[in-house]
Amino acid sequence: MFEIRGRLHRLGMTVITAVLVIPFLLPMYTMARGSLQGAGWANYRAVIALPGFVTYFRNSAMIAVATICIVYVLTMMASYGFSKLRIRHKEIYFWALMGALTMPEVVLLIPLVSMAAKTGAAGTVWAVIIPLAALQIPFTVLLTRNYIDGIPDSILEAARIDGAGTIRQFWSIILPLTKPMAVAIIVLVLINCWNAYLLPLVLLGQEEGLMVVTQLPNSFKSMYNDDQTKILACAVLAAIPEVAAYVGLQKHFERGMTAGALK
Amino acid sequence: MLPAVLFSTGLVYACVGYVGYVSLMPPRWRPVYPPAVEGFDSYAQALDDRLFWTSIWHTALFFLVSYALIVILGIVLAALMHSRIYLPTIFKVIIFVPSVIAPAIMAPVHRQVFAADGPINWFLERLGLIAVEANGTRVWAGWLQGLLPKIGLGDVTPNWIQPTTSLWVVVAAQVFSSVGIAFILFFASMGQIDRETLEAAKIDGAGNIRVLWSIIVPATRPTIATLAILHGITSLKLFDYPYLITSGGPAHSSEFLGTLIYNVLFGTSSRYGYASALSVMLFVLALGTSVLMSLSTRERRPRAPKAAGRV
Repeated sequence: MFEIRGRLHRLGMTVITAVLVIPFLLPMYTMARGSLQGAGWANYRAVIALPGFVTYFRNSAMIAVATICIVYVLTMMASYGFSKLRIRHKEIYFWALMGALTMPEVVLLIPLVSMAAKTGAAGTVWAVIIPLAALQIPFTVLLTRNYIDGIPDSILEAARIDGAGTIRQFWSIILPLTKPMAVAIIVLVLINCWNAYLLPLVLLGQEEGLMVVTQLPNSFKSMYNDDQTKILACAVLAAIPEVAAYVGLQKHFERGMTAGALK
Repeated sequence: MLPAVLFSTGLVYACVGYVGYVSLMPPRWRPVYPPAVEGFDSYAQALDDRLFWTSIWHTALFFLVSYALIVILGIVLAALMHSRIYLPTIFKVIIFVPSVIAPAIMAPVHRQVFAADGPINWFLERLGLIAVEANGTRVWAGWLQGLLPKIGLGDVTPNWIQPTTSLWVVVAAQVFSSVGIAFILFFASMGQIDRETLEAAKIDGAGNIRVLWSIIVPATRPTIATLAILHGITSLKLFDYPYLITSGGPAHSSEFLGTLIYNVLFGTSSRYGYASALSVMLFVLALGTSVLMSLSTRERRPRAPKAAGRV
């Protein structure tokens, strides 16, 4: 974009960029440095030795995996239906689904709490998995429907002539052809589940053994009297899986997280 | 198709229906009371509530400022990354990593960044802008103490999580988390700018700033519009950062609709009826934005992004 003449100019532009990314580095630096102050690495040892430390991660992972499965299966079926099948009033259903696209979680708190209590889901991870999945599906369907719209009807036509039914077409044509979309959905839902804070906070409460990763820093706060260094050590440990996943799968993350807007 | 529609819309609309139902009950209603539909008391109370309007005002302010910052930083960084600078991959990772980490995890870090003894104040101290008093409190350096009241910033002290500045701490945190996505979007849309247009502009003598303003910005206009909608929704949904960094305070100075509803619901006196009325209004606002979003993705004209600017 910008024209760069000569090595000095190039270096200058690099310096400008470096200055501009300081605001992004500063919190990371503060986090890492703060977590090592005082007791040093012992902060980390203390956090890891916390009873139930692993359950935070296990709960988040469980919620994420279950939500991804539900969202993926339902999104694929729904998008196939919306895109290729003839169903009466399907546009109405589609707009009804899109109405839920931007639902703020806080709006759903009261009914979710009372529903969870009534159905017995309260106190189990399902109280979070179900609403998390329901809140993602409108968006993933919007994406996937657009994607499937791009698959030519003639392929399905040919399959039908060869005797493939609706289910066979879905299984043998739609699913393999939407693999790039599957990756995007997995990344998107994974991030949103792992980062979810409000729903687990309200629906799983602050009970021992039911907390998720995002509650790690805050639960430490109450337990250890605002020991800032250990809270920051918690933050580092909670952030590591995400950062590692991103650095390992850069392309997929960038594509997945921006899938909606890039279409 | 039906299972997904039933599952998703069923749950969501059942919830909205229930919230709507509760919102018609007395403001102080709770699930332990018998249901008693009373009317629109809660709505009337909300429209009278100064806090409700404060939250909306904060949301608007938050949206405008953070959106401007995100767009400017996103465009400039993407343009720099498209130029031949050193180590572009490392810069890209640095910019994008914050958008991967959960706001709830970063919140304590932002508290530390803006703490009285945090790195921002450390830096200002080194610049000689603030002084540390004997008892450890930080105050502006002498010359600033005289200047700030004159430019209307007399209430600002170098203690950032306080009524005059707490909203801007939340803005800073959100900008930190959101620029990554904007950057990737701008980076992608700049990839489609015609090289020849750029060359021609340069031959005509346009400098880098001119190229940025007259070619790059017009070419990325669809992305700028998309971001407005995405960020509008983020602003309406905002909860994690204000709740965990400032709890909406001090003195409600960083209250947003999300934190307001949460506090009405789980605060000292839990008023379910009132919280429901607030929720319904938030839902209507979000739905309006959602309709905008659907319309804009539907009508996305295949406008060639290489439409050249006037140079």
